Amino acid sequence: MEENKDNANPIILSASDLPSRLREGVTKERKDGGTGLFDGLIPAYGYPYDPFELPSSPSAISSDDENEVVEAIDEQEVYDLIATICDPEHPLSLGSLSVVNLPDIHITGPSSPRSKISTVLVEITPTITHCSLATVIGLGVRVRLEQALPPRFRVDVRIKEGTHSTADAVNKQLGDKERVAAALENGTLMGVLRKMLSTCE
Amino acid sequence: MSDVQLYLLEVDRNKQEATAIAINSAKKLANKQLKLLDLIQSLAEYLNNDEGPIRGKTMSYLAEVLQAVPPKLLSGQQRNLLCDFLLSRIASDTEGIGAGAKALLTLEERGQWDQKRASQVMNTFIDHTHPLLQFKQQSERYPILLLMDLLMAKYRNAILVLHEEGQDFMPRFNAYFDGEKDPRNLMIVFSILRVAMTEWNISPNAQELFEAVFNYFPITFRPPPDDPYGITSQDLKDRLRACLSASAYFAPYSIPHLLDKLDSTAMNTKRDVLQTLFSCVQNYGPRTINLYSVTLWDAIKFEVLHPSEEDLVDEALSVLGETAKQLSLASNESLLAYLKPAAKECNEHLEDAPTKQSQAATRMLRSLSASSPLASNFLCSVVVPNIFSLYQSSDNTAKRRALVDTLSELIKANVDVFGEWRRGPITSPQDITNSLQTFSAQSLDTLTSAFLSVPTKEVSFRLSLLNALLQLTKVRGLLTDDQIFKTIKLVNQVIISEESYGKDEVKAAAINGLVEIAHQKPQLVIEHAFPDFMAKLPDKDVEGPEAYVPILEAFAKLATEDKVFDTVVVRLKNKLSSAIQQRASAVYIKAILSALLFAFSQGARDLHGTAEHCPYFDDFLQPLVRKTCLETDSTHPDDTIFYLVGRISNEILRRQTPEFQSTISDQIYKLWLGSGEIGTNASPPDASVSEQPRLIISTHLLAAFNQDVSLPFDLQELIISMVTFALRDNISRGVRIALLQQISLIINKFVKTKDTRPVIEAVLQSPLNFISPEQLNKSSIRVVFAIFKALILRNAPGVNSIFASLCEALTDVESGTAVAHGFSTLLQPDEILIKENHCNLSPLHKQKTFAVFMPSVLSGFKSAAPEVKKNYLIALSGMLRWLPYAVLEPQLLSLIPLLLQTLDIVGEEDVKIGTIDTLADVLRQKPNAVEEHTSSLITRLLNNSSARTNPPKVRARALQCLTLAPAAMRTELVIPFRKQVVKRLTAALDDSRRIVRLEAVRCRAKWIELDEAGDDDEEE
Amino acid sequence: MSHPYTIPSHQITPLATLTPSSTTRSWQTQPHPTLPIIASASSDKTVRIYSLTSFTLLSNITGGHKRSIRSCAWKPNTKGESVLATGSFDTSAGIWRRWDVEGEGVRSEYDFTRAAKGDGSDGEEEDDEEWRFSVILDGHESEIKGVAWSAGGQYLATCSRDKSVWIWEELEEDNFETVAVLQEHEGDVKCVTWHPQEDLLASGSYDDTIRLYREDLDDWSCVAVLNGHGATVWSLAFEPVGNKKWLSEVEGLSGEQQALLEEREKSGSRLISCSDDKSIRVWRRRPKEESVGSNHKGGMPSILRTNSIEEDWYEEARLPQTHERAIYALDWSKKSGMVVSTGSDGKIIVYKERWKESSPTTDTAKDGEQLPDAPTQDSPTASTEWYVVAELEGGHDVFEINHVCWAARRDKDKRFEDEEVIISTGDDGEVKVWALEQG
Repeated sequence: MEENKDNANPIILSASDLPSRLREGVTKERKDGGTGLFDGLIPAYGYPYDPFELPSSPSAISSDDENEVVEAIDEQEVYDLIATICDPEHPLSLGSLSVVNLPDIHITGPSSPRSKISTVLVEITPTITHCSLATVIGLGVRVRLEQALPPRFRVDVRIKEGTHSTADAVNKQLGDKERVAAALENGTLMGVLRKMLSTCE
Repeated sequence: MSDVQLYLLEVDRNKQEATAIAINSAKKLANKQLKLLDLIQSLAEYLNNDEGPIRGKTMSYLAEVLQAVPPKLLSGQQRNLLCDFLLSRIASDTEGIGAGAKALLTLEERGQWDQKRASQVMNTFIDHTHPLLQFKQQSERYPILLLMDLLMAKYRNAILVLHEEGQDFMPRFNAYFDGEKDPRNLMIVFSILRVAMTEWNISPNAQELFEAVFNYFPITFRPPPDDPYGITSQDLKDRLRACLSASAYFAPYSIPHLLDKLDSTAMNTKRDVLQTLFSCVQNYGPRTINLYSVTLWDAIKFEVLHPSEEDLVDEALSVLGETAKQLSLASNESLLAYLKPAAKECNEHLEDAPTKQSQAATRMLRSLSASSPLASNFLCSVVVPNIFSLYQSSDNTAKRRALVDTLSELIKANVDVFGEWRRGPITSPQDITNSLQTFSAQSLDTLTSAFLSVPTKEVSFRLSLLNALLQLTKVRGLLTDDQIFKTIKLVNQVIISEESYGKDEVKAAAINGLVEIAHQKPQLVIEHAFPDFMAKLPDKDVEGPEAYVPILEAFAKLATEDKVFDTVVVRLKNKLSSAIQQRASAVYIKAILSALLFAFSQGARDLHGTAEHCPYFDDFLQPLVRKTCLETDSTHPDDTIFYLVGRISNEILRRQTPEFQSTISDQIYKLWLGSGEIGTNASPPDASVSEQPRLIISTHLLAAFNQDVSLPFDLQELIISMVTFALRDNISRGVRIALLQQISLIINKFVKTKDTRPVIEAVLQSPLNFISPEQLNKSSIRVVFAIFKALILRNAPGVNSIFASLCEALTDVESGTAVAHGFSTLLQPDEILIKENHCNLSPLHKQKTFAVFMPSVLSGFKSAAPEVKKNYLIALSGMLRWLPYAVLEPQLLSLIPLLLQTLDIVGEEDVKIGTIDTLADVLRQKPNAVEEHTSSLITRLLNNSSARTNPPKVRARALQCLTLAPAAMRTELVIPFRKQVVKRLTAALDDSRRIVRLEAVRCRAKWIELDEAGDDDEEE
Repeated sequence: MSHPYTIPSHQITPLATLTPSSTTRSWQTQPHPTLPIIASASSDKTVRIYSLTSFTLLSNITGGHKRSIRSCAWKPNTKGESVLATGSFDTSAGIWRRWDVEGEGVRSEYDFTRAAKGDGSDGEEEDDEEWRFSVILDGHESEIKGVAWSAGGQYLATCSRDKSVWIWEELEEDNFETVAVLQEHEGDVKCVTWHPQEDLLASGSYDDTIRLYREDLDDWSCVAVLNGHGATVWSLAFEPVGNKKWLSEVEGLSGEQQALLEEREKSGSRLISCSDDKSIRVWRRRPKEESVGSNHKGGMPSILRTNSIEEDWYEEARLPQTHERAIYALDWSKKSGMVVSTGSDGKIIVYKERWKESSPTTDTAKDGEQLPDAPTQDSPTASTEWYVVAELEGGHDVFEINHVCWAARRDKDKRFEDEEVIISTGDDGEVKVWALEQG
């Protein structure tokens, strides 16, 4: 168990330091500089509330213009998707182990107006340079993103420059569609991945 | 035939019958028909019978007879005789030994034995029935164990003597119980042995005694299904643990044995071991523990440094803590011998913080130093300096944060043992000086300067620093008032003048911190914090909210501290009046009012008054209302201001006695303005636009009143005038709602049950005749539902007929939809009609309403014209969304098809959300109810999840609901949709809104998992 | 990027999407050598047989494989029976047989309905019974990636992640014997393909190399290693027989050009390869002096037996780089000599070879690619260039395209004799048929 883990004593960052949109949840930035202490005083449906003037009826704030707003998929969103993945050897998230870091995520838009294809490049940083699980972690990241991003995204997962002894080998594997596909049909490996992906939120 | 013969015949065939015979013989003894001696004689031939069973049954006959004879019957001499007889039999023949034991128990029950007898009994058994296990029947052994338990309990000395005189007694006694397996018996065996272990000098036999019980460790037992003996595995564990920890003499065996069982990979064993170690440490006493302290440390720290399961870590920590606690009772030396290596190792782990192990070290330090003042003192003296030097030598924020957190934990522990300002220590430190003193100044400076220098974006670090500072201010007698005052200044600064950043976690923490300090040192806060606040609060707001909201929040929060409540209210009140005088913006005024409302609703002050007196009435409430009505901007009155004032008044008044309320009931519409009333005469009054909002306050006063306060108005007139008023279209939304609420209140609270009908008829039928289709319009529908709701809640008569006509109204092409929406208001949790406002709330009104409503809607829906069917669905979901699932469960089968159709309605997001939530409930609670609709459910949810006509909220909700399906429904039902769903969800993955994508991801993951679970992969 | 963008002369226009399609990733689609049908290998562990006349599903070959079917290949030169080889991630290769039915196309309607029902995971129904699972070839240690029949149908080659290439020989029906296990590569072997005339096998690998094998004294061994690609070699194709005519038909060939054609004649079929490095390269064998004009007839003159069987292949040309991501597949048309390629970027690109007008020195520059190992001294000055004939974005919407190939057009709207269609296979599970149209 512990002793023969690759890295039994990794550095851990506090969750509150990790950049994340998840924690902000739905509560949007407050304008009044307060913490929203008084929000609870007024009933949830607000004041003055008239049940006969429902949001969907034109009189009230129509939600259609809500629809106008487009929130593009950005690096932060990708980060939030993978930062919560569980490390295979610690009950800790890849984010808190800073295996994945916001600055190491890059999204590239379509190369031509005719193309719809965007690319996500994620560079992961293993906790130690000889981490034997780098491939599994990378695979986990790739799988999570392939499952969670729309198909117009191409996902490239690599080891961050100079953070792993056999980076090239690992990168080549992670880049090989056929190998990844085959790996996903391997029950044992899938078991490990499922554990990782059942995120430590 | 003699009774014994009869008994022997019956006993195997019919137990009751046999018992009856025994009882009968007992009677005979009682009424002297039969002499005890003869009885015994009659037994003789059977007791000497060659067949064991016969002899056994004869014994049980005897036992049963004895149990049946009335208490006083047998003389002491007879009892002695019987005892002798029984014991001699046992000595010569162990057939029916169980019965023998029973008989003896009975006899003892009839009269105390002397010590001699007691030891004789014990000896007889030990000598002649050894080992107990020779008797295969649990029922045979059980009474013997009971007997022994009795002896141990009531005749301690006698047995003790046996032990002390006969040097071979102990081994035989101990071995006597060997191999017992039955849980019922074991419970007793453990308690018998425990007596010996705790009370006798067992040093020579310690090992064998220990092994006798340790053989059972770790004990587990799954009670049979119906659990006939009511013994749980836990009971056994507890008894066994009690034995193992019974005597310090066990230490040489127990501690090593337990420690190597700790290496087990079975979590339950580990758990058992740690708990047992805990009670050993607790009971063996300091001197013994002293011998093993280091061993324990070395073994148990491992469980914390390399955790296997969270709860095991806690168990381990408490063993470490308890050890320190015990040692502190022994001598300082032994304590240090234990703590030194611990401190050393923890210090080492702290060097590479923040790591898993530095976190573990921190937890260990916490539980060690919380064990006693001595421990805390020592650890502070060796760890705190280390923390500081590490802190100074590093500029890595993450590391510094970790160190500060460790410091906080040490201080927390210190508070545990030395107490806080408001609470003395748990263990009174015998004039031990708190060695944290030595570092208090340094800590305060380091933390303060760090906090001032760290950039605001380092949220978690600043939170840690703030937390550490607060812990410092807590420690009893640690900081001087002056030092605490400095901290208050620091906190104030954050609250008052710091730029808002991110989610303002630091600000929030600062406010809570200030409240904590106020709890410890109220006076200091009042003297030092409040002036700053007041100074910062403008009279007239020139800058935006960010200038004052944080301060008001702090104020409000402080009101939760009883010692400062009054001050808070007074200061805010003054600020409010100057703000009103200075014509400050409505936004500002509302902010101050909100702070006040918070203070009164969440504050620490009990507002209950007496018949004559109401707190905050004369000096606060009246002036507040008057000011609001007369001095706030009358050209564009702001409903919300009146609403907040109303709420505040309500908070205060609803807690008052009816007597008091009666004294002010005439002011509901006068509002202490001296002027005439608004809206109380039958003909609609001409309250000016500026006066109308006052009705909002009136509503909340009305709401505050007790039912049995008699209102000085003609209720019917009052209602009529409210109604007519409410029909006007030149009134603000706030005022209209206030009026409708008043109508509801009056009808629900003040109209007597018998009078409800006429009042209602006045409105619904003549003269106003609202319920009639031609009268139905946006305004009248509101009134009808306001009335209807009030009635439903008090479950008044005449509800059903209104229901009928409203369902009828659903078919109206004009107003049908509006009516439909009305239904959602009926069961919706109300802000005004609540029990705090003394309303009539029938506990079952939801069930009743639903029962009346369902059938009419179902039938109505079927017969309705296609263009109005929608209205029924809207009404239905409007009802359902407020009903507890249990209420609608019986109706599910007829409901679900309608619900699914509701999902096809375009627009009506609330209706859809309501419906989706209901379906989600069904999926959670009774998934098989939707089974036959699986396909339609899944496709509809998919459609709603991607339909652009739906607002994001609905799309997200649809996805949430779809997420439940794979887990909730039977796999074979959902598997066929797996690929389709996974594929179609890619659309939602690309939704324009984040919330939707987030749900889509979760949902898709669930369905993909199902996929993996689906194909059974037999793998390498 | 590197090549100057010229407006393609042709358009790739959609003809049909074969229905119903797999709901999960499809890997590869192979046209039948004679019949108007194609076989499509899918990750749902089945192979779908579609009609090229009605563009609908004829039958679904299920069972037999426990994991994705990665590749399939029709045995050439079979009489009255179709034989299909499948290679699967479950490490086994399968051989399937079916008696040919008269007028394959006609039955489509009828089959469509049956297929629709039989489609999906549980398909062991009557519509599949005609396909007999005849033999399973075990031996590879890990996923099989490619399968290929030799031109004569005598040999079947399989390749796998276990780095090996196996050659099987069918002695009599359903009795396959392993005639060679070639462990030359240092990484997964991604693809295998046979020379159209010689028993020469080529394999491409994860180790970035291409290797060629032939039998020598009934012992198979590696005769050439083609280095050059900077990443995994995904797919290979030999130049079809008689392909040179596209160049020779041109009016008034110069002497040099004639020379070049003869040179090529000696070399025999060229090999084309595509790779994860986004490049497509054409490889050519340097003719052996002794074997003048002999190797296109296959079977070498006996005098050569003593000679070393080592062959010398060099990179003759590099196609314009148009793909932006890994190139997964390409195919060399038997009819038009055009090459089609596709890959991760979802593009389908068609290339053609033509004579270069201008002088050789500037030519190579025009392609933007310097060819270091291209022989300068002994090569004739005349040279050819490859250019993009047609380019299509997002052939399978936003999905990756895993395979593309040429097939004879068989539907009623066929425009001319020998018209070909392009068949693409994508991650969306769909198989699409495209026509190539002028302008």
